[in-house]
Amino acid sequence: MSTALYAEWTKLRTVAGPFWLVALAAVLTTALSAVTARAVSCAAAGCGVDAPLIALTGVQLGQAVVAVLAVMVVGDEYRTGMIRTTLAATPSRAVLLGAKSVVVAGATLAAAVPGVLGAWLAARLIMPGRGFTAEHGYAPLSLTDGGTLRAFAGSALYLTLVALLSLGIAAAVRDAPTGVGVVLGLLYLAPILAAVVSDPDWERRLHQIMPSDAGAAIQHTIDLPSLPIGPWPGLGVLALWSAGALVLGGLLLRLRDA
Amino acid sequence: MIGLVRAELTKFRSVRGWLVGCGIAAVLMVLLAVVAAAGTDARVGGPRARGALPHSSDGTPVFDGFTFVQRPLDGDGTLTVRVASLSGVALRPPTPGDTAPEAPSGSEEEATTEPWAKAGLIIKAGTTPGSPYTAVMVTGSHGVRMQHDFVHDVAGPVDARWLRLVRTGGTVTAYASTDGAAWTRVGSAPLATGAVSAGIFVATPPHQEYEQFLGGTSVVGGGAIATGTFDNLSAAGTGPGGDWTMVSVGADDSPNRPESTSTREGDTFVLRGAGDIAPIDGGAGPKQEQLLSGGFLALTVLAVLGVLFVTTEYRRGLVRTTFAATPSRVRVLAAKAVVLGAVTFAVGLVAATAALLVGTAIRGANHYPADALTQVRIVVGTAALIAVATVLALAIGTILRRGAGAVAAVVVLITLPYILSAAAVLPAATADWVLRITPAAAFAVQQTVPEWPQVDQAYTPAFGFFPLPAWGGFAVLCCWTAVALVVAAALLRRRDA
Amino acid sequence: MEATIEVNGLRKAYGSTVALDGMTFTVTPGRVTAFVGPNGAGKSTTMRVVLGLDRVDAGTALVGGRPYRSLRTPLKHVGALLDASALHPARSGRDHLLWQAHSQGLRGQRVDEVLTLTGLADVGRRRAGGYSLGMRQRLGVAGALLGDPPVLMLDEPFNGLDPEGIRWMRGFLRALAAEGRAVLVSSHLMSELQDTAGHLVVVGRGKVVADTSVADLIAAASSDRVTLRTAARTEAMTALARVGATVAVTERDTLTVDGLSADRVVTVLSEAGVPFSEIAAHRATLEEAYMELTRDAVEFRATEVSR
Repeated sequence: MSTALYAEWTKLRTVAGPFWLVALAAVLTTALSAVTARAVSCAAAGCGVDAPLIALTGVQLGQAVVAVLAVMVVGDEYRTGMIRTTLAATPSRAVLLGAKSVVVAGATLAAAVPGVLGAWLAARLIMPGRGFTAEHGYAPLSLTDGGTLRAFAGSALYLTLVALLSLGIAAAVRDAPTGVGVVLGLLYLAPILAAVVSDPDWERRLHQIMPSDAGAAIQHTIDLPSLPIGPWPGLGVLALWSAGALVLGGLLLRLRDA
Repeated sequence: MIGLVRAELTKFRSVRGWLVGCGIAAVLMVLLAVVAAAGTDARVGGPRARGALPHSSDGTPVFDGFTFVQRPLDGDGTLTVRVASLSGVALRPPTPGDTAPEAPSGSEEEATTEPWAKAGLIIKAGTTPGSPYTAVMVTGSHGVRMQHDFVHDVAGPVDARWLRLVRTGGTVTAYASTDGAAWTRVGSAPLATGAVSAGIFVATPPHQEYEQFLGGTSVVGGGAIATGTFDNLSAAGTGPGGDWTMVSVGADDSPNRPESTSTREGDTFVLRGAGDIAPIDGGAGPKQEQLLSGGFLALTVLAVLGVLFVTTEYRRGLVRTTFAATPSRVRVLAAKAVVLGAVTFAVGLVAATAALLVGTAIRGANHYPADALTQVRIVVGTAALIAVATVLALAIGTILRRGAGAVAAVVVLITLPYILSAAAVLPAATADWVLRITPAAAFAVQQTVPEWPQVDQAYTPAFGFFPLPAWGGFAVLCCWTAVALVVAAALLRRRDA
Repeated sequence: MEATIEVNGLRKAYGSTVALDGMTFTVTPGRVTAFVGPNGAGKSTTMRVVLGLDRVDAGTALVGGRPYRSLRTPLKHVGALLDASALHPARSGRDHLLWQAHSQGLRGQRVDEVLTLTGLADVGRRRAGGYSLGMRQRLGVAGALLGDPPVLMLDEPFNGLDPEGIRWMRGFLRALAAEGRAVLVSSHLMSELQDTAGHLVVVGRGKVVADTSVADLIAAASSDRVTLRTAARTEAMTALARVGATVAVTERDTLTVDGLSADRVVTVLSEAGVPFSEIAAHRATLEEAYMELTRDAVEFRATEVSR
């Protein structure tokens, strides 16, 4: 496993693409968060805005880049045919996918942590000027606050799980553009479905089972009991999706001709 | 060029995966229509809720409830009145656990007048809700208006207080005046001849404040009540010596509506009541375009095809064969765009039609009504949107030459702005702005519910209202695609194959 | 570990198309085994099966007595070159080898060794996307040598090589075999392997048509045929026909004799006192011998293709 891991790490760092994607994911996450923080305002006390949730809007954009990064790790090998060299060097499909998962998770965290911290910094600088002040019941966002810490750290985990989901799907479809299409379709479908379905039971169920919706529960800090799913169980649902995708990808990798 | 188009068409249809992709796109679209139809809750604007509403003569669902002091009018006649004062104020919103508001009097909150509180003259074909009418009125903050048949609204002088309606044959003409001497014609409208009701009325729509927060928009508000004071009422042509009688039109529309009252002291009438005479916005209820929301998924699938249509040529070095066969690279790009646009338009048309038919079959007519022309517009518009978006994907694929990145770029450009706006993450003003400049503006082609200037509503993306008209929004997407195609063509010419 | 590849009864079908139909052979150390056959005969599929890339419906493929997927550091057991172009164009050749080295627990130093060995030391740090086909073949061979494996398996290593490159590759393969390695080289051009291969596995339609040493094959294909140059054409024909040979006139003073060895022809002519200026025993080329063998096994006949 350690040699396969070392090999995957060497692969990742010897082309420029992943580096730029990591940088792009971090920058876009921070940028959209900052823009959203700038757009939202709180006019009076009790405006009911979940400040950390606003500050983490950029994660919705960052996840697209993270998905591309993860999908490319597998998709590029199929595109070039290098997958056969890889499998000749590491015949165990489980070990290979495990090694890729670790490397992808690491690269994603390298993007997510600065991205999320940037979002936090931007929110801290911008939001007090938009009415999120002590008079309106908003203390400056602090990462020592339990809920806020959960939202921000959880968002980094969310991005990591999205990357693993993407990796599993890429291993299953073996083509990078298709993989990105499937992943983004899955991630962005939930809010659209929720807007269409008006039956409250259906809507609630959707929020509970769709990967992006359930996973994003981790970003909520207020009014938790009314959420369709709690923050950690929500992230758990996403984790199940990721695990399912990886198992499916690994199984297909094992069964199919390379 | 025709040969080139045929060559590209052959390329497209000879890859089985791409044909399968087209099929998947269509199936997903229909599937989403089924989910949308099945997931419609009858409790939120289901047939029972919607069906109870009156409809105007053109089928638009309307509110028709007001306090009416009237006399019969059989033939021609002239009504004149001065609206001495109009106030429309919000009632204290019901506190939790308190099902009905307190008695109207004494619970009035603030003195700000409801903008669309109405007091004035009306000639109406009977007191049945939904029947045609012509009215001229003073409003809370929109000046004098002449309105007829719910959907028509004509602005009159801002500060007039004297109102007049003249019925001549099949036409009713409205006048307004500041002094009761010099009259300004506001407009006229047809009204069937025969016996009608004529008189004075007040109404005010409920007080509403829209507040948008992450994941939803809340409507804060509650009942409101209008008080209108009238004097100098004259009614030439009305029934001889007939007394003025009060009718509460559409009184049982909503149980929480304050009771209509009218008092008369000499020549002065004081009318109090709530309700409105106006079309209903589509707001939170089911809408026909929801059956086409699978367009997002179809678009994602077809965007992948659009990107692959060009990037696979680079991947396999096929592009050299292509450019050897046709040295003019711009023409190759044009042929690809034509083929892709035509094929995906056809797929989109079939899929959207099927989605609408299947969804309607499941859900019935349980949605805001859309006439045939609107239905054609949303189906054709959705197909066109999908086709142009796929061509945008082709152009971005040509620019980036990397399939994965191109797919992500297209999906993020089109879907993410829509999600952030429609899911009410962004405040309404920002959301409007986003839906004006991003390719997501094109989803305006799917909007079926019109915006009524005479109805105060949150016409925000969160409620399915787009800032641009249907074809304006579509033009935004076309602009993006055109720019991307030009950049792609320039790069194609410059770069080595 | 034993340096062998044992392929036993491989069967594989893609739908109704049979790719492998009982493929069986063994590659032994110390010589270059040529794995030849027309396009589509199942050579590449067999190699992918040996590397655990493709699954089979029946049969086994063992490297040094073990299935490939059970090897922990497989590149130390068998080095393979399948598709030289299968690399990331943005990665340098050296880095392409480096990740493979790391996957086997090898160090970067070994990468530099194989780069030198294959003559790529100067270009190793350039983007592999810019390599010529010949450089990619060398890079592929370098990758196969990374783990210093006792077994080598190269799929069409001559593809895209210039004449100098072909000569280098031949010498390289011979040297590797001389070190005691088992070397399996596939090709569809027999002439490339002339003077290189010691053993031959000829395949067609998914199974082995011939499994023989090159010397035996050529001897078998070279039937008794002698070319004779003589001024006394008529006398020679009479003398040879008398002992039962079939004689044909090919040129004014040249005869082709079938059915007699060169020694016997010399004896007969000498006894009859017929003068001759030149006598030569015909020797089949590897190419001819191969064509003879695969005549029935060729899947894509020229006539079918040209239609």
